[in-house]
Amino acid sequence: MLRINNLSANVDDGNKQIINNLSLAVPAGEVHAIMGPNGAGKSTLSYVLTGKPGYEVTGGEVLLSGESLLDFSPEERAAKGVFLSFQYPIEIPGVPTMTFLKTALNAQRRANGLDEMGAPEFLKKSRALAKELKIKPDMLKRPLNVGFSGGEKKRMEIFQMMMLEPNFILMDETDSGLDVDALRVVAEGVNKLRDPKRGILIITHYQRLLDYIVPDKVHVLSAGRIAASGNAEFAKKLEIEGYDAYA
Amino acid sequence: MLTHDMSLFPSRRDEKWKYSDLRSSLSHLSDGIEDENKPNFLLPDGLTLEEVDCEFSSVKNISSTLVENYCNKAWKINVPKNFKSDQSLIISNLNSGHSRIIININTGGCLSLVEYHESQSNSFINTNVIINIMDKGELDRIIFHDDVQETVRISSAIINSGPNTKITQNTISFGSALSRFETILTASGENLNATINGAYLLSGNRHCDMTSNIELLKQNCHIRQLVKGVVKDKSSGVFQGKFHVHRPAQHTNAEMRHDALMLSDTSKIRSKPELEIYADDVACAHGNTIGQLDEDVLFYLRQRSIPLAKAEAMLTEAFVSDVFYSLEDDQLRENILTKIRGRL
Repeated sequence: MLRINNLSANVDDGNKQIINNLSLAVPAGEVHAIMGPNGAGKSTLSYVLTGKPGYEVTGGEVLLSGESLLDFSPEERAAKGVFLSFQYPIEIPGVPTMTFLKTALNAQRRANGLDEMGAPEFLKKSRALAKELKIKPDMLKRPLNVGFSGGEKKRMEIFQMMMLEPNFILMDETDSGLDVDALRVVAEGVNKLRDPKRGILIITHYQRLLDYIVPDKVHVLSAGRIAASGNAEFAKKLEIEGYDAYA
Repeated sequence: MLTHDMSLFPSRRDEKWKYSDLRSSLSHLSDGIEDENKPNFLLPDGLTLEEVDCEFSSVKNISSTLVENYCNKAWKINVPKNFKSDQSLIISNLNSGHSRIIININTGGCLSLVEYHESQSNSFINTNVIINIMDKGELDRIIFHDDVQETVRISSAIINSGPNTKITQNTISFGSALSRFETILTASGENLNATINGAYLLSGNRHCDMTSNIELLKQNCHIRQLVKGVVKDKSSGVFQGKFHVHRPAQHTNAEMRHDALMLSDTSKIRSKPELEIYADDVACAHGNTIGQLDEDVLFYLRQRSIPLAKAEAMLTEAFVSDVFYSLEDDQLRENILTKIRGRL
């Protein structure tokens, strides 16, 4: 599914190599977690994979189902099914949530040669999913994420994820700012998206999210590369022992 | 009668016109400079149109001077005492030459006024609107401006408000070779409640100037002003706003904002907010921002499959549309937003 080979990247205006010869494979149907200390390059990895302007790839390749992702714009990568759940979801005043979501869904469908989804079908689908995620209908009429609590914003990310049904999901610190109840709702949403055809990569500081979304593999990211890998139990060991051994 | 005395027209040497050089923009035009125009009026039931002599107005500016030089008559509408209607007074065909329109809103009268400034020709157009609002009168004024790029247009509204009046004004302009919308409001009575909003969306070589001068003479007046602008290509936007709070105008509460979005390196924004305050118990503020679209927000939209151009259009629409949120007429608001969408 997703294969990263010897990837190196830095920030455009700096010389500091943030991703350093990183290799990683996440097969379809698996959930992998990347853990690591602050400054290890976790968020940078998610931005490089999704094509955020301001990052420069200096070496290596990223393949999604065999196709090189790095040649495509952010919107093309998204339309190919790469979804990033943001650590800090953006507030967009003046753009109602439903308008945003319908535009996104239909842009994705158009890019994949499908007909646009009509309003009745869209409303039916969005209302059903909102109910499932305990999102109040009036939140969907409000401008995207404006005035939402931290938990509501993260739930909105999961909601978008379920609407857009991506092939590959990147979750950047999804657990930050969530209380236990919100964490459970978010985790249930992600677990529903586990699918033999879909890969999921979870980036996190702490192990607690992994109690709810049990990963197939856990990797330690340190100094821009994978320093160690293990199974779900490995995350618990990291939580106790810290990352010092991999620095 | 003056014949093409170009020294009459203000140029960049005149402080009030230094960002909109009317004289030089007229150099390539000949149509309209000496013509008298007859606008079209669609009157609500109960209002009548009168043809009157074009007299001298108390406010001297280029718009008034030109009208008084070239027009023999003015168009006068009297809004009777306590008049109310769900129909609007619609004025159109403001497409060439000079016209003066005089509207008197009598005690307790309410008028909804919609002006269409839509020219298809490269002519000079001068619209001079004089509105007098008596005690408890209300004015809701909408100005649509959508000319071809070559047009040169000035529009000056001279509004005099009595006590306990309410004014709501919304202007939407897409600019032209030079266009200027002036609002000269004198609050002669206390308790005026006024909202003076506007938005300009400019592309190509278009220019739009939104200038207002609000004279507050009496106490307890409440003014809100929000103007938003978007410029791209080589277009240029101008905002000049002034609140002049005279000594008796205690408890004035006035706020002026101008926010502009620059979508190209070759576009220009010039802004001059002014407060002149002689009363000592007032709340007056002005704010002015100029910026670009937020890269992080654009990336967020693109990460959800929305192409860059569409993402920019969505954010630009969101930026300007909040100017019109307070419009009570849903149909009108949707018409404005549709026009805006068509230009993005």
